[in-house]
Amino acid sequence: MSQSQTPSEPVSITVLYFAAASTATRLDSELVQLPVQTEPFRLSSLAGLLTDRHPNTSLGKVLQGSQWSVDAEMVDDPEQVVLRGGEEVAVICPVSGG
Amino acid sequence: MSSSTHSSSVEGRLRGDDGLVVLTYQPLDPAQIILSVQDDAAGAIAVFVGTTRNSFQGKFVTHLQYESYTKLALKTMADILRAARTTSDAVLHSVIYHRLGDVPVGQPSIVVAVSSPHRREAFVACEMILEEVKKKAQIWKREYYEGEGDELAQWKTNVH
Repeated sequence: MSQSQTPSEPVSITVLYFAAASTATRLDSELVQLPVQTEPFRLSSLAGLLTDRHPNTSLGKVLQGSQWSVDAEMVDDPEQVVLRGGEEVAVICPVSGG
Repeated sequence: MSSSTHSSSVEGRLRGDDGLVVLTYQPLDPAQIILSVQDDAAGAIAVFVGTTRNSFQGKFVTHLQYESYTKLALKTMADILRAARTTSDAVLHSVIYHRLGDVPVGQPSIVVAVSSPHRREAFVACEMILEEVKKKAQIWKREYYEGEGDELAQWKTNVH
């Protein structure tokens, strides 16, 4: 599929925060640079990264109870999803529509 | 008053073969929505109107606020209408309207309307659509309570 990237080239994703996640971070969204590393960055690693970015907030707890979407598709297993940069990743906390 | 609008919580509509889904900041008009699913081939129109309640666990709710991840919520609700149609070929028209932003107590926050030749399919589809929206649609409600600061307003969850 895609050719391998230069390991030293940083890439970013857009993270969207809604509801309790948005209240915790006081943000609608932010651009998050993925760590430069040789192995692929898995979605399952994102919660830790975001919690570190927002210490002393309830974000970590919110993320524990939340799902994820990537480019507007819900994710079943974050371990199976690799982020390569450019994706729109949303924190989907338990919904309350209707 | 409540905080400004989330940048991804925009108005939107998606019309497909299976029906229409709408997210809007405008007040919902159930009568108009019922008219929109009318069909000469329909013997029944089933409607659900969800209205905002004034209390939660003894606390008085002053108003509610809804926000959505519109891009995804529209797709999710369109998928729900598709599933409803697959379950019952008899459904003629189905629509989901959900309000966003501040909704005063007592006003409609969601309207689901389904028309079909016979009443059983309309009732069944209407209820199924509502329950699926509550379970899956990427929409969140925040309740503001009397006597409490805005920062204490609770984001609700439908999960039980």
